[in-house]
Amino acid sequence: MKGMLILAAKDLRLLWRDRFGLFWVLGFPLIMALLFGSLYSGDGGGASNISIGVVDEDQSDESKAYVKKLQESEALTVKHLDLPTAQDQVRKGKLSAFLRVEKGFGDSPFGSSTEGLLLELGVDPARRAAKAYLQGILIRTWFDSTKDMFSNPMKMRQLVTEGLRDIDQSTGISKSQRDVFNTFLANVDRFLGDVDPEVYSQNEPLGNMEIKTVSVIRDKAQPRNPFDITFPSGILWGLIGCATAFGISIVNERSSGTLLRIRLSPLGRAQILGGKGLACFAACVGVTVFLIFIGVVFFKVQLSDPLKATLAIFSTAICFVGIMMLISVMGKTERAVSGAGWAILLVMAMFGGCMIPLAFMPGWMQTISHLSPVKWCILALEGAIWRQFSYAEMAQPCGILVIIGVVFFTAGVKIFARSGQKVSDTSR
Amino acid sequence: MQAMIRVSELRKKYGKLTAVDGISFEVLRGESFGLLGPNGAGKTTILNMLVGLLDPDGGSIEVNGVRDATRPRVKKKIGVAPQSLSLYDEMTAAENLSFFGSLYGLPRRKLKDRIDWALSLSGLVDRKTHRVKTFSGGMKRRLNLACALVHEPTLVLLDEPTVGVDPQSRNHIFESIEQLKNEGLTVIYTTHYMEEAQRLCDRIAIIDQGKVLALDTVEALIEQHGGHSRVEVKLASLPDDPSALPGELNGSVLSVETDRPLEIVAQLAESGLKFLTLKVDRVDLESVFLNLTGRRLRDQ
Repeated sequence: MKGMLILAAKDLRLLWRDRFGLFWVLGFPLIMALLFGSLYSGDGGGASNISIGVVDEDQSDESKAYVKKLQESEALTVKHLDLPTAQDQVRKGKLSAFLRVEKGFGDSPFGSSTEGLLLELGVDPARRAAKAYLQGILIRTWFDSTKDMFSNPMKMRQLVTEGLRDIDQSTGISKSQRDVFNTFLANVDRFLGDVDPEVYSQNEPLGNMEIKTVSVIRDKAQPRNPFDITFPSGILWGLIGCATAFGISIVNERSSGTLLRIRLSPLGRAQILGGKGLACFAACVGVTVFLIFIGVVFFKVQLSDPLKATLAIFSTAICFVGIMMLISVMGKTERAVSGAGWAILLVMAMFGGCMIPLAFMPGWMQTISHLSPVKWCILALEGAIWRQFSYAEMAQPCGILVIIGVVFFTAGVKIFARSGQKVSDTSR
Repeated sequence: MQAMIRVSELRKKYGKLTAVDGISFEVLRGESFGLLGPNGAGKTTILNMLVGLLDPDGGSIEVNGVRDATRPRVKKKIGVAPQSLSLYDEMTAAENLSFFGSLYGLPRRKLKDRIDWALSLSGLVDRKTHRVKTFSGGMKRRLNLACALVHEPTLVLLDEPTVGVDPQSRNHIFESIEQLKNEGLTVIYTTHYMEEAQRLCDRIAIIDQGKVLALDTVEALIEQHGGHSRVEVKLASLPDDPSALPGELNGSVLSVETDRPLEIVAQLAESGLKFLTLKVDRVDLESVFLNLTGRRLRDQ
């Protein structure tokens, strides 16, 4: 074990001194995580806060009360504007939409006329989701306003009086129908006049119209911010850098003769390769811990369970040690190993979720991604970071990663051992 | 004296090419033994089989009485300076020595002492904290040798240790090897430079095409296979009786082949002959190789 530690310490020291190599292992992954995290953040941050301009042409108590309710909504940021400015800002994309509260909104019953609500929503038709979302918020707010009217017997009596007058003036209605409406409204008016206003207003005239919501565990397991997704991807870039760097270092040691000198020492082949694997493992763990630390401390990446994170980090590192070993025997020169290594790992990264997050992949790509170890690495890390996997759920990606690591490492060692005799002497 | 290495009927083939063809020899404890031969003669293959890096196709090897040279206790006693510079460029001289020394399990204090000793031997004390990538070729060669010695081996295998070095470093390496000899280490030295073999080796095996052509001390090899030295004199004037002169006279140039060239020169001078030029070609290992193979070492 001591020999392996000596070899690993040497490899880590060499990696540390190779500033260019270190950039690919630490710097590049961090840049990727931050760059894509910032890009996704700039997408509006979901639909949590839509900016709209409000043009209140009515300026009645009712319209003001309605706009006030809109302002109280957490989903909206409301700006008071005149119509041309509001239209201009929507056109330029500075506002998602504008809302015009038309004249007569306060005077008409429930803010509506025979043609509908006296509200006008200005929105880009291409933004269908935003339009539907806004319509929902506006209707709900309107409904909240009308609930106040139903709770006030004075306002209701005023409406009844207006109704009786309209029926009286109406010509297109039969006498019998007129009598029915008059009788009904007169009884309602009598009721509203007799009832205690305090008792009446305590009742919810239309009941509570809130849609009940219940918490489902999966709801909590959503990424809180884009860095929850981009940091696992960034970590994978770091691991790819580690595997390539150490894979190349084995070939480099072969060609420079240092491997020959190490083989002349009392260390066995298993110890020599074990030392290389240990160095790669330590580097992978170090890179992952470093990036998670940066993510948690500076970018609010959530770490649901440190123990599960440890499990994910270790299994991911084991997988990449295996990949490193296999890469190292893919060629006899640094150039060959570097080329083959990057080519294979880039394809794995592409289909594994390093470039396109797994959640955004089309179906066929998600199916192919099962073949990429990178996918299982990301799944394990995300499971520990924000997906809140149970231990049983963690077992699948972690188990697959360990199996891949062991199989690849064993295959790499066998190929390495087979080529060992050829390595020793090429010139007599 | 007890044999440190015993090689018997050693064979190695690469495909159809026979690299080592039934070689046998012994190296005595404390002896400096040379493997002299042109490039491609099989010297490095022999070394690699001696230290267990290559498996022989036939024959046997015993190192210090043990047949398996890959055993850790045997490896601990062997130091190898490979022909290629086997160093970490990004590490300092001291770090390289420390790393290779620690692989042999030396205690910390002992390792420190050995590093100091190796740096002193290689003349790199002043450069011990400098990274190897800043070293000249000669300095790297010296460090390459030092790395083979840092763990205090009793058997040292040096594979062409002076290839591509400046005269100053070459001389330093020679002095280092002579110091090792004086300290009683067994040294196996491969080279295709006969001057090196002649200066450093107690006995030499001349190898060509995987076979040992001759094996003995330098003097014995020259005596057995070197032929005669040649004295060539351009005379100022011919004597009255040229037939009394030894050797062949071609115009005014007299050529004499002899085992005792200095005696011939003295004899000619005493006879009153005046020389315009005098040239003595002494027999050396080059002549031995030429006589054994019909080729020159440097022609390879």
